[in-house]
Amino acid sequence: MRGRNGRWRVADLPTTEAGVERAFSYFIAGVRLGTIAQMIPAVHIGIATSPDEAVYLACWAAAAFAAVTVSAVTLARRRPLGAASSAADFALACVLLVLGPQVLAPGERLGTWVAFQPAYVLSVILTASGVRSRILWAGGLLGIVVCYLVYLSGEVDGDMTSTAIGNVLTFVVYALVARMFFGYTRRIAHDADASRAHAAELARREEERRAQVMMHNGVAIMRLLTEPGTDAARSQLIDQAEVELRRMRSYLRGRAPDEDRAAAHASARSVVLAAMIKRVCDRFADLNVDALLDLGADLKLPAAQAEALERALESLLLNVRMHARADAVVVHLDQGAAGSWTLTVRDDGVGFDPASVTTGVGLREVVVGELRLRGLDVEIESAVGEGTTVTISSGPAQSAVHADRDTSTGAA
Amino acid sequence: MRPRVAVVDDASLIRESFGLLMSRLDVVAAVATVEELARRRPVVDVVLLDLHLANLEQQPDVRQGIAAIRALRGQGYRVCVYSQEERRFVLAACIAAGASGVVSKALPTARAEQLVLDVASGGTVVPQSVVGILEVLVRRDCITLLSERQRQLLHGRARGLTYAQIAKQLFVSESTLRGYWLDLTRSLSDSLRSLTPGEIERALGLAPGDLLEFWSGDATDVKDWWRVDTGR
Repeated sequence: MRGRNGRWRVADLPTTEAGVERAFSYFIAGVRLGTIAQMIPAVHIGIATSPDEAVYLACWAAAAFAAVTVSAVTLARRRPLGAASSAADFALACVLLVLGPQVLAPGERLGTWVAFQPAYVLSVILTASGVRSRILWAGGLLGIVVCYLVYLSGEVDGDMTSTAIGNVLTFVVYALVARMFFGYTRRIAHDADASRAHAAELARREEERRAQVMMHNGVAIMRLLTEPGTDAARSQLIDQAEVELRRMRSYLRGRAPDEDRAAAHASARSVVLAAMIKRVCDRFADLNVDALLDLGADLKLPAAQAEALERALESLLLNVRMHARADAVVVHLDQGAAGSWTLTVRDDGVGFDPASVTTGVGLREVVVGELRLRGLDVEIESAVGEGTTVTISSGPAQSAVHADRDTSTGAA
Repeated sequence: MRPRVAVVDDASLIRESFGLLMSRLDVVAAVATVEELARRRPVVDVVLLDLHLANLEQQPDVRQGIAAIRALRGQGYRVCVYSQEERRFVLAACIAAGASGVVSKALPTARAEQLVLDVASGGTVVPQSVVGILEVLVRRDCITLLSERQRQLLHGRARGLTYAQIAKQLFVSESTLRGYWLDLTRSLSDSLRSLTPGEIERALGLAPGDLLEFWSGDATDVKDWWRVDTGR
């Protein structure tokens, strides 16, 4: 559960662009308030030693006020400062630096917390790393470096020169590193969001495709049922419709958790390919199908692959029934070397021009899409007036289950 | 010129309507039995033969099936079986017995007529299911094909490919392929005839004795030979 307190925990922040911006706001508030905390112990010394204690106190109070305000604003906005606020923050830092020589005693501008200005300026630089505008960021940094040189004027002698140069480099290097870190983190978050969106789109398309695959054959059979035909033909179609109805109901029910185990068990089973093909061809007795399966009589496939192949073969024969006007159909199974196999479905019907015809859901998804998804090759060759040949094949890597592995399952 | 054909069929309706429905054929004789055709001895390009000729009322003991094909071949006739028979081993036995073609009565009339014309002009018409059997026998070394080209042609025909498709794959003309196919089917028919039922059963993974009735020279003379069901 994400309670009110939990929402403030970094570990609970989402790894999104919004989450990253919010993490930046925590970082900025931490840096700014932490700097003020470090400034507090030395404030009374600063007031005591300052040549102009009222202005010193005003500068200190302005810095503290700005730090608290920036922290509150970033936390409320849940992201770093905008351009205008950041420019004001830079401007105040520059003013504090320029006033430094006036409010600090000689010899105190380097190496003490009485001179809070350099540490405060560093926190402003880190805050500005989250600003989107590169020009504002670079201009602000340049302004601070210049003002820091003004701040040091008259104070730097031979011993302190290296410290002064080191401080300037600290401003520049920290500014660059922090900005790179902010930018890179933002890019990761952006890519993560884009990847999530892409994954969601792919999942949506996959679900759409699954629905098309599940529904296509059923729709084709329903269409055939609406057309006039003999009682025998209708009876055969009704048998097929019942098979498709079971498939569609199973899809609409979705997969219950305990069905995962059943599915895993099913994927371990194997199906005799020739028996499955024969069963499908028998459903299309009206097409005069010659099923030549002797050369692959011993072939077995994993149940999931065989199920996809059964749907694809059904879809192909439905296409022949609805569109091809064929006199004869040949379904030929051949087992090659190393367990590879080829299933050829050939009809002598009207054919089509693959270049000018957009293939329907049946060929595109149920046949090509589903079978390629399961590692099978599909080739469709057709020409107007010359029939259609569909070749489904499996390379050695996707070969059939070894013939003697499971003799218990016939046609599933 | 239309090819001359003789029709042997026990159904008078088919005998009498053949010439009317297949106008590209010149039906010079239409008889009910092979014995009658043998008596008349017409000169024809092809005999169209129904496999099932015996019936209890009219002609209970006439020659039919494989015996009829052998009798006609013995008299020098070119035979094209025209039948409702669909069992592939029965059809294969017809080809083995010397039939030049097997045409199904289930085909549309125009298609059947075209196939008969092919046989009459010297071609062969082998049913797809029999081409499948031949391919298995070749692949399992029961029948030896001489050339790689013949194997490729049989491979394509077994998958139902047209001459045009195979010609494209093999870079030869369709007419060349038709010539190859004629030689190939004659050679395969001869080889098929020389095989014993046991050899074919082993090659096709059938049980011993499944084919005995189709291939036995004696058994084919019994009048109900076509009723044998292999149980496949």
